[in-house]
Amino acid sequence: MSSPKTAVQLRLAFPSDPRFLSLARAAVGELGGIFGLSSEERIEVTLAVDEALANIIRHAYRNCYDRKIEFECLVDEEQMEFTLLDQGEPPDPEKICGQPLDEFALSGRGTHLIKAIMDEMSYQKVSRGNQLKLVKRLPGAKARADGK
Amino acid sequence: MERQLEFSNRSDRDAVIVDVVGQIDLGTSPALRKSLLDSLNGTERLAINLQEVRYIDSSGIASLLEVLQEAKKSKKRIILFGVTGSVLKVLQLTRLTGVFEIRETELQALDA
Repeated sequence: MSSPKTAVQLRLAFPSDPRFLSLARAAVGELGGIFGLSSEERIEVTLAVDEALANIIRHAYRNCYDRKIEFECLVDEEQMEFTLLDQGEPPDPEKICGQPLDEFALSGRGTHLIKAIMDEMSYQKVSRGNQLKLVKRLPGAKARADGK
Repeated sequence: MERQLEFSNRSDRDAVIVDVVGQIDLGTSPALRKSLLDSLNGTERLAINLQEVRYIDSSGIASLLEVLQEAKKSKKRIILFGVTGSVLKVLQLTRLTGVFEIRETELQALDA
């Protein structure tokens, strides 16, 4: 089945409670499938978004489970763009860059995974809080860019 | 609402086998970590069945690593089996497939 020609926008707002992570994962995985991601790519993109949401819960909100996370996914033929917004502590720039890891490091893998999987990752402090944007180019867009 | 993660223990030969079912994420990994560390206390060899794990994130990976470190400290063994799909993908992305002892089946894990 071909990908939809019309852009899709999905917006969710939910508490910073880890029980809601599976809801976001399901939405990302399903949307990725509709827009042509392979099952392996769906796993990857879902993981990257989940890690970003978990970072908000763990670091921005310091494991307070009653704060608000706003999540938006905008998908068109070219890309999936995710925007995550929170009103917690701003992230440590060094952690956003991803620290070097040794194989037994118990933390810090989330940001590495996000950067390895997504094509773009950018953080911005905005009037409503901390905004993280993640972009994944879709297979069709990559093929066009490569001239296939 | 479906419980996101369940685990149960059984014994075979000299090993304790932990069957893990569900999704391992920020919310469920602390309980898994505690259960695995408790299970490790009672055996020299812990085999962790991940066949029915549909999702694992970096907090779950960190939990497995912590249990592995604890096992190494006390000269015990951790063996993962049933590592497929998203669990295998995440282990590959985190470049940890060579760090864990991984076997395809339960029989191979018990024979290892």
